Amino acid sequence: MHGKFDELGRFADPSLLILTSLADGPKHGYAIMTDVAAFSGVNMEPGTLYGALSRLERRGWVRPLASEERRRPYEITAAGQEVLAEQVKTMQQIVQVARLRTAMAWGV
Amino acid sequence: MQPGLADRLSRALVGCHPRRWRERYREEMLDVLDQHHPTARTVASLAVSVLSTHADPAYRTAGPSRSQLRRAASWAAAITAVLAMVSGCLGYAAWSERWQLSGAGGVGAVAFGPGQRLLVTGVGGPGQNNMVTVWDIADPARPRQLSAFRGGQPTALSPDGLLVATPAPNGEPALWNIANPRQPVRIAVMPALGHQPLWGEAFSPDGQIFAAAYLDQIFLWDVANPAQPRLLGTLAAPATQANDGASIDPQDIAFSPDGRFLASATGTDHVTVWNVTDPARAARIATLASSRDIVQTLAFSSGNLLAGVTYYGTVLVFSLADRGRPALTTTISTIMPHALYPDGLLQHPDAPPCPPCSPAAYAVAFTPDGHTLTVVVDREESSVSGDPAVTIWSRDTIFTWNVASSGALSGLTTAFRKVKDDQPTLAPDGRTVADGSPDSNAVYLWTPP
Repeated sequence: MHGKFDELGRFADPSLLILTSLADGPKHGYAIMTDVAAFSGVNMEPGTLYGALSRLERRGWVRPLASEERRRPYEITAAGQEVLAEQVKTMQQIVQVARLRTAMAWGV
Repeated sequence: MQPGLADRLSRALVGCHPRRWRERYREEMLDVLDQHHPTARTVASLAVSVLSTHADPAYRTAGPSRSQLRRAASWAAAITAVLAMVSGCLGYAAWSERWQLSGAGGVGAVAFGPGQRLLVTGVGGPGQNNMVTVWDIADPARPRQLSAFRGGQPTALSPDGLLVATPAPNGEPALWNIANPRQPVRIAVMPALGHQPLWGEAFSPDGQIFAAAYLDQIFLWDVANPAQPRLLGTLAAPATQANDGASIDPQDIAFSPDGRFLASATGTDHVTVWNVTDPARAARIATLASSRDIVQTLAFSSGNLLAGVTYYGTVLVFSLADRGRPALTTTISTIMPHALYPDGLLQHPDAPPCPPCSPAAYAVAFTPDGHTLTVVVDREESSVSGDPAVTIWSRDTIFTWNVASSGALSGLTTAFRKVKDDQPTLAPDGRTVADGSPDSNAVYLWTPP
């Protein structure tokens, strides 16, 4: 059920954040960092960002576009969108179960 | 870590990635660093990235030969040895900077930050081994030392609590940024323009002007941009000798709460008041006589009054209501017989005030509303045995008056406290007393009942 995302292991978090950031259109490195910080509050550092980007690229989930001067935008691929959708589904299940169980435990 | 250092280290680390990685990502990574503000976290993340990409087979070139491996091993050993030496030295320097400073002469300068949450203490005069300590006193019962750096007396803290002025080791006034009080950064050193010693430092209430007082002159600096102080004006304030010919150290300097006036007690029997509304054209508006006694400490009220305490314990209040002609309105020379000695005894009312006994240390302040004046008299036990190892006790006597707008004082109340320290300072609330220890880096806070 978890599919391809399991392979990412400990890198799941930055990868998920990057894929989410690219879901609404291509962005270059710094734009991803600021976007991720804006929607999740996670301040990703350049080393973490490029570590995850290079792995996503090798798996074919993101694709580099032509450089604009020194800035290179990245876009999510069809495979990347599939992985993101799967991951979101899994997380929704987790959220649902967590809500149910905490509601039972706390009596809300 | 300083921003400049983090930036340089980050850029160097980008260059440490494997060649194939660099060819692909170097330019865009540097572009990201151009827009990012690198911190210690950035450096750490890049260091991890360097290690993991080197371990990643995808970026490895053809397998190394034995001789290449040997060469690489010896290079790695040499680089590790150099790095260990450098980091060892840096670590020791940082450690000694923080914990190994010592001060001769005890805490002599105390400055409170806004809201009395921060306290800055200066130990000893300018010199190699003296220091300034920044304390968190949000909970006065549990003060915490946040940082320490080189400095000494005199020490001043800007009203916004972001800048500390303290002498550099050579005696020039230096400005430290304590926006992050755990990591003070020295941002400017102003040239020593007057004759040493630098005896007084003060920030104007709006924090825009910094006054540095030397033996013969007071210099006014524009510190709106504290990294680049700009000299605005020079005031002639020569210290002269006392009547008996002995040279007396100049004593105190203070801005009025509205920032229009600067008063200095320059070791003479006079208090000089300048109008510093336009610091470049500061004008002396008055020289106030103080009854053949030397004013030790000064404080302005929010309502046109200036109070001082003299060497022999006379309390003086001047009115600045008539800006052209400031005038002495109150002289109280009778408090010393009410100040307790360390043994708890009063001075006999018939005994002459201080000479020949050893004089006291004083602090003076108005409450922010200007309605109350507090004077602290700290009397030290005269050391009979002359043995400096004997613990010296002293006693604070706190005198409090109601203040009329004319400067008249009434309704005296007193409070006492036995302390193991001297050098009292009053906090901006005009009530909390901080006593610096004469022989250690310790400060005692106390609010009288």
